[in-house]
Amino acid sequence: MGEVIVITSGKGGVGKTTTTANIGTGLASLGYKVVLVDTDIGLRNLDVVMGLENRIVYDIVDVTTGNCRLKQALIKDKRFEGLYLLPAAQTKDKSAVTPEDMKNLTGELKAEFDFVIIDCPAGIEQGFKNAIAGAEKAIVIATPEVSAVRDADRIIGLLEAAELREPKLIVNRIRPLMVKKGDMMGIEDMIDILAIDLLGVVPDDESIVVSTNRGEPAVLDNNSRAGEAYRNIAKRITGQQVPLMNLEVPDGLLHKFKKLLGFK
Amino acid sequence: MKVNPMKPKVQLGHGGGASPQVDEDTILVQRTLRSGQSVHYAGNVVVLGDVNPGAEIIASGNIIIMGALRGVAHAGVEGNEEAVVTAFRLQPTQLRIANHITRAPDGNYPGPDQPETARIKNGEVIIEAYQPAGERSTGIC
Repeated sequence: MGEVIVITSGKGGVGKTTTTANIGTGLASLGYKVVLVDTDIGLRNLDVVMGLENRIVYDIVDVTTGNCRLKQALIKDKRFEGLYLLPAAQTKDKSAVTPEDMKNLTGELKAEFDFVIIDCPAGIEQGFKNAIAGAEKAIVIATPEVSAVRDADRIIGLLEAAELREPKLIVNRIRPLMVKKGDMMGIEDMIDILAIDLLGVVPDDESIVVSTNRGEPAVLDNNSRAGEAYRNIAKRITGQQVPLMNLEVPDGLLHKFKKLLGFK
Repeated sequence: MKVNPMKPKVQLGHGGGASPQVDEDTILVQRTLRSGQSVHYAGNVVVLGDVNPGAEIIASGNIIIMGALRGVAHAGVEGNEEAVVTAFRLQPTQLRIANHITRAPDGNYPGPDQPETARIKNGEVIIEAYQPAGERSTGIC
């Protein structure tokens, strides 16, 4: 019996979909059977980030309305044997699926897969309620911004009210240099308010933009710092103990040169 | 969060020199209040946890927070100017006592490093270091 994990944040644009794609791919690369479920009906993106957009025939609404069988809607990943995607519908809206549908769906999926990872839409309305309905665990994503932390706090409250206990936090897009200078919220400040366990910290990384646009999750790129962070997070989800990566940016030649000249 | 409806009238024990708060009910909230959660109570409220930004506590009596108050607290909502707000770390978004509304000054100030109490003195909300019972003007003993 697999585990159903919802990835949520409240605020939009903090990296839910990117994180879902990377964690899912990371887990699949470790040999687990994984299915990613996009619940952002009407604004689907996960298929694009995974590079599977052109293979969609049926979607989640086709499954819940009985238009097709679950197996028919699952799209097999190009890279990994055990990785599948259940895409959202683009032409419908959030009310096309009910929390009850989601419970049945995730129940069916977790019998087949080791991990069922649900990509939650932004907001706290119907889409959010659908996404968390069948989940057993939750991962909350927040960027080091006051607004994102505020929304994450709201989400954690709602998750607790829905009996989803002990959600885990991923701090996304942190810029260690800015934190050092005191221009950005630090991880400690965020944990201080949210008071939940930290699952991982993902540094801000330009390679994510490239990999997202290409439909190749950064987790597979050995040169990507964010990819490394996601690999560590995937390992932690499986129960391995992995220390937080060192976020200090190694002094580059240019940086050293500037230092020498007294610019920094 | 379960919201307790305000009772229409609170019995305040004004007679016989007894302090006004003594007779009020007190509710114990054993959790952190997160953004969007609120507690309304006709009486005193004690929170064992933090009150985060976006959360609110509205009470007809006193509010005591055994943690950080970062959200909104309104004590003495039915007009009791004797009501106080005490917190381990008093850093509210906004603080209200009876019909007085205050907020932290604009700009960056270091947060408090000790428990503090907000109360009304001479018609103004003032904040002072928390002092144990005997020295308090409300006289709760």
